[in-house]
Amino acid sequence: MQIIEAQTIAKDYWKNLWKRRELLYYLARRDLIVRYKQTFVGVAWVVIKPFLTMVVFTVIFGQLANMDSKGLPYAFIVYAGVLPWFLFASLLATTSDCLLANSGMLTKVYFPRLIFPINIFIVSMVDFVVSFSLLVAMMIWYQIAPSWQIIFFPVFILMTAAFALGLGMIAATLNVKYRDFQQLIPFILQLGIYLSPVGYLNAIVPRKWEVIYSLNPMAGIINGFRWCLAPDVMPLYWPGVIFAAVVSITFLIIGIKVFRAAENSFADTI
Amino acid sequence: MTYAIKVDHLSKKYTIQHGASSGSLKELVEHYRRKIQKKISTKVFNNTVVDPFEVTTEDFWALNNVSFEIRKGAKLGVMGRNGAGKSTLLKILSRITEPSSGSIRIDGSISSLLEIGTGFHPELSGRENVFLNGAILGMKRVDIQRKFDEIVEFSEIEQFIDTPVKRYSSGMYVRLAFSVASHLEPDILILDEVLAVGDVAFQKKSLKKMQDISNSGATIVFVNHGIEAIKQFCDQAIVLQKGKLVLNTTDINQAIELYTGETYDPK
Repeated sequence: MQIIEAQTIAKDYWKNLWKRRELLYYLARRDLIVRYKQTFVGVAWVVIKPFLTMVVFTVIFGQLANMDSKGLPYAFIVYAGVLPWFLFASLLATTSDCLLANSGMLTKVYFPRLIFPINIFIVSMVDFVVSFSLLVAMMIWYQIAPSWQIIFFPVFILMTAAFALGLGMIAATLNVKYRDFQQLIPFILQLGIYLSPVGYLNAIVPRKWEVIYSLNPMAGIINGFRWCLAPDVMPLYWPGVIFAAVVSITFLIIGIKVFRAAENSFADTI
Repeated sequence: MTYAIKVDHLSKKYTIQHGASSGSLKELVEHYRRKIQKKISTKVFNNTVVDPFEVTTEDFWALNNVSFEIRKGAKLGVMGRNGAGKSTLLKILSRITEPSSGSIRIDGSISSLLEIGTGFHPELSGRENVFLNGAILGMKRVDIQRKFDEIVEFSEIEQFIDTPVKRYSSGMYVRLAFSVASHLEPDILILDEVLAVGDVAFQKKSLKKMQDISNSGATIVFVNHGIEAIKQFCDQAIVLQKGKLVLNTTDINQAIELYTGETYDPK
């Protein structure tokens, strides 16, 4: 016996989500097949984009501006920053668009809508692993041996994902009513890559600006990424990392709350 | 329990905004700016100005206190003119939107087809799309696997099942989509004008398939403007008018009379 009343969608939400896990599988499969079908181009794009960004940033920041790399190859430092940034950017961009992009499904079939962000998370993780392989290749090439701190690597990946998904879900919800966010997100991402320590080390930021600089959670996260890979050379700025962790989790929780609260009316307002 | 679906005092309210398309943040800001301005001009200068751009809201009842029961195995036809509330009723039954008040009790598994081919991806093969579409419609993977050959055979596109759907003709596309949908086998099936697909031969075949489903004892809720189809299929009908239930009968002809009487003014 099922009962439909006002506010019933909220009941058994997580149970319903679990019941529809096969849908999640097929949606992720769809996205991966479509991307990786024409194998060469598909896989290549996932690596080419961060790779070219790395090349350009290495030339500009490393060669032309001659910024400090603490003795490590500049390309390696940049790629270790480009990876988390691309993960953040693709998660945020696709999550904020997930409701509009799937509006056909939204108005015709019911399932817990959180399936969309979860699907995006899975697909992005696959992309991340593919682009991560280049970093492994670089570490072998430059002979940089990982230390035990590498075990914290997943923590920073999850922090990136939590922050991006949280922000993305808030943006997706607002996007349903106010399409402005479609314009805003790419712009934020464009500026953000320079405001975050992607092309440079956060160690070059002057002491007195350190606190303000760390208000951008991506600063702490990228710092953490590099620390995991080369802890002796790149020290962790603890206040920044702790702040980033707190902000990421808070945003994820708020994002889920906002998304769920508006979920019942998505089909009506889109 | 004798009923499959029991709709109890169901209402759905939409709020319509006049004077704003409510599509951007700018308009939202503008709305509040005007509100504050109005407040100031009333309080400080003590003059009430009628704002020609003021956003006003109005309640619109898409469904208003609708109650009816569908017994198990019944084939219900929902009739009504455009805007009578048919789609809203279907959307609430499918859980796409929630009612404002009232309740629906459903006994049995329910599937709704408001559209065929929901979520079909043009780059994927017919095979992949069958599984994806089935999963979207709520079919279990094992069930899709079990019925896969049957689905493909019914759609008559065996030869092209591994071809990307973007290369299909529109006829092939809807045939495959309908074929997946018609193999759902729920206890209760909700259908919104999805029968008329494909060429004449395929339409005949799909009508026959619907008859089989219907004969197997499933309860069907059927929304269609085609009177012939309702006459052929249904043994119960309701007529909606401006969100209200005006007739609930097992006499299909009476319902059709009321419905067509409205549509074509005898004058």
